[in-house]
Amino acid sequence: MDIDVNQLKEDWCGRQFDEVQIPVAAKEIVEFAQACGETAARFTDPSDPDFQAPPSYTSRFHGGRAMPKDFPIQSHQGFDAGKCVHVNGPLRAGDTVTARSEIHDIYTKTGRSGNMLFIVHRMTFTNQNEEPISVVDWRLVQNQVSRKSKREAGQS
Amino acid sequence: MNEGKKSFADVEFGEDLPEFHPAIDMKSVKRFTDATGMSWSRFNDHEEAKKQGLPGAIVPGIMSQGILAAMVNNWAPGCTTLKIDTIFRASLLVDSTATCRGVVTDMVEDEGIVEVDLTISNEAGETRVMGTALIRLQDA
Repeated sequence: MDIDVNQLKEDWCGRQFDEVQIPVAAKEIVEFAQACGETAARFTDPSDPDFQAPPSYTSRFHGGRAMPKDFPIQSHQGFDAGKCVHVNGPLRAGDTVTARSEIHDIYTKTGRSGNMLFIVHRMTFTNQNEEPISVVDWRLVQNQVSRKSKREAGQS
Repeated sequence: MNEGKKSFADVEFGEDLPEFHPAIDMKSVKRFTDATGMSWSRFNDHEEAKKQGLPGAIVPGIMSQGILAAMVNNWAPGCTTLKIDTIFRASLLVDSTATCRGVVTDMVEDEGIVEVDLTISNEAGETRVMGTALIRLQDA
């Protein structure tokens, strides 16, 4: 693979490419919470006055498309290296969240298996009142970036 | 444990969280994948997963993340999670025995913020998932 990382960043980072609305159901919150081992009533009991989704809940959501149209790397070509959730407010049953997607960053790293290309896919979630709920950064990694691309990206 | 809320004063720098052995049997993983619309064979069927080159069915990364979040919430009832970052270092197999560990690595008294480093390891003691949680506790 021969990829110019700097050019990729310039062409694709910071541009919203997808927006979806997602209703949030109490039953799914409870199933998610209990399957993960949550025991607090605020995550497992819809009758609790503070009932809300567990903090990492928005990690489960996908947009209408994983990558921008015509983006040269598609999600199935890499693997899921991790997710980071910044929690900005509680997500409640009955809310409808809007999820907006962008490519947030692209960078390279050298690991045991060679050169790796990281693509950070960011989804920003707000509720029906446009109140911030969370930001989820999904790190997608792909092996075997060329040496040329690494040099161009200015990384060792 | 969840009746009382943990306060900032209850936490010590370097404190270990109680070890937690999450349920990652097939029934629990299916429950999770059904709830999240991720009922795919690589998570729910050992034989099909092997056909895809995996050693067996694997626990979804976001379930591992949810398990670590639950570990923190169960240790610090009433806390507000500000951030949880997880690195999916290697696959965690469904029906294996996993151990979650955590340690307090930073405390910011003025803001009531506590940082916790987190891991999930397998039976061989290999770290498969690692992460960090940033939480806020009362009584800052």
